[in-house]
Amino acid sequence: MTASKVELPKKPGIPGAIIFSLVFAFVLTVVTMITVEFSLTEIFSNFGRRNLVADGLLNPDFGQILSERSLSAFIETLQLAVLGTVLGGGMSMFMAYWATEFGNPIRWLRAIVRTFNNVVRSIPDLLWALLFVTAVGIGILPGLLALFFFSMAVVTKLTSDTLDGIDMGPIEAAKASGSGLISMLRTAVIPQILPSYTSFVLYGFELNLRASAVLGLVGAGGIGSRIEFFRSRGDWSEVWGLVLMFFLVVFLVERFSVTIRRRLV
Amino acid sequence: MSELTLPKKAIDWFRNITTLAIVAAVVWSLIGLEIKWERLIDLPADLFLIGTLMFGNLDIADFPNLAGAMWESISIAWVGTLIAALFAIPLSFLAAENLVGRPIAWVIRQVFNILRAVPEVILAIALIPIFGLTPLTGVLAIGIGSIGTLGKLFYEVIESIKKNPLEAADAVGANKLVRFRWGVLPQVMPEMTSFVLYRFEVNIRASAVMGLIGAGGIGNDVALALRFKDWEVAGMGLLIVILGTILVDAISGAARKQIIKGSNAKLPSAVEV
Repeated sequence: MTASKVELPKKPGIPGAIIFSLVFAFVLTVVTMITVEFSLTEIFSNFGRRNLVADGLLNPDFGQILSERSLSAFIETLQLAVLGTVLGGGMSMFMAYWATEFGNPIRWLRAIVRTFNNVVRSIPDLLWALLFVTAVGIGILPGLLALFFFSMAVVTKLTSDTLDGIDMGPIEAAKASGSGLISMLRTAVIPQILPSYTSFVLYGFELNLRASAVLGLVGAGGIGSRIEFFRSRGDWSEVWGLVLMFFLVVFLVERFSVTIRRRLV
Repeated sequence: MSELTLPKKAIDWFRNITTLAIVAAVVWSLIGLEIKWERLIDLPADLFLIGTLMFGNLDIADFPNLAGAMWESISIAWVGTLIAALFAIPLSFLAAENLVGRPIAWVIRQVFNILRAVPEVILAIALIPIFGLTPLTGVLAIGIGSIGTLGKLFYEVIESIKKNPLEAADAVGANKLVRFRWGVLPQVMPEMTSFVLYRFEVNIRASAVMGLIGAGGIGNDVALALRFKDWEVAGMGLLIVILGTILVDAISGAARKQIIKGSNAKLPSAVEV
């Protein structure tokens, strides 16, 4: 009797898909690096040089925030963020509802709402601001509109994802017991999404707060206009003073908001 | 006979106070902001006018140039995201409480929090005087700005790894490197890769506006076109931004789904970021 050779199973190789994606990622990286003229020597030589920006950062002028014009711009920024989020978040409730199957049974209409949401979401906050500045002129109204659209898009996306996943049981029960649209929403839909919706709106507020600082760069009001003013004059101490103070506030508000969000979800 | 009384409804202080605070903030903002609301009446007409000017007579001749600029924006986002990942990976291991002690993890986390709070555009403003009006400024702004978010996502992944593979590696006497290669890496790689792609999608939007302040990419062309009322170019640019962003989102999103398929990783919900 001959001993049969024991054959080891073949070692699984690296799947083709992984090799392909690695090669793709590598080529993409090389091509993009060439596109942006990436150069380490330039980075190191420039960072090493003494420059006004770094000097300003090393001794920022924190007092600037207390000057009358900066303080009012600062408060304006906070108010813009609050109002933009409340309006955008409120609107997103409707937009999200219209993007779901039970809220909007007509398929082509739903497709339009969803496409609209995706398009709105693909335009960055600052570009919205620039578009509205072009449409209604310099001021805080374009800033408010930009924040409104931007936060509406984000909150709508998150809320409609949540709405897609809710339990349909309560809705059927509400319909079976003959409740109208309002009482159906009130008893079967809202209780299911309210905690996550609130946390999405708070998240939108955090985004808006950060965005509202830069709106002024394109003339849409808020602290950004003061930052831009000092930047154009090369007063980096003032720029950094304002930026650091603003982000201290953002940081505190965010911690607070994150704490509330954790409690909600 | 004693009367039956219903117990009093408990007062939800958390809810009441939060509601009150929000209402107060809204009222304060409404009173404080001097908005010319009457301008809103003209807004739909204005938007329609600008819309027709921008999209009414699009010229395909503008396409190649603007598509090239969008490619520059995408490049800025990709290289920037990779730089951020390069820094965030080692830092995130230092921010994971299960690998290092709590004090070190706390310090690194605060660094992440601070980096997360600063928008890329502000970083770009600070970098322009140093690197000039070049795409490299945008790359570095995005690179520095994304370290915080990526780091936070990464350390949460690291903290959620299972102990079993590590124990198995220890049991067969693996050294530190082997233990890391087979015990830690396979557990964190899929999620970390998908987070990098996710951040890339977010950064496309950030890099599209870098140009508004002159730091490279398509934003530059759109801003200039709007300023000089070169409506057709602005319209084509905006269209390319929208289509490019949606296209990259779709490709990157599909790749993410493939990467984490099979592992029990979840996609990051934006709320955690």
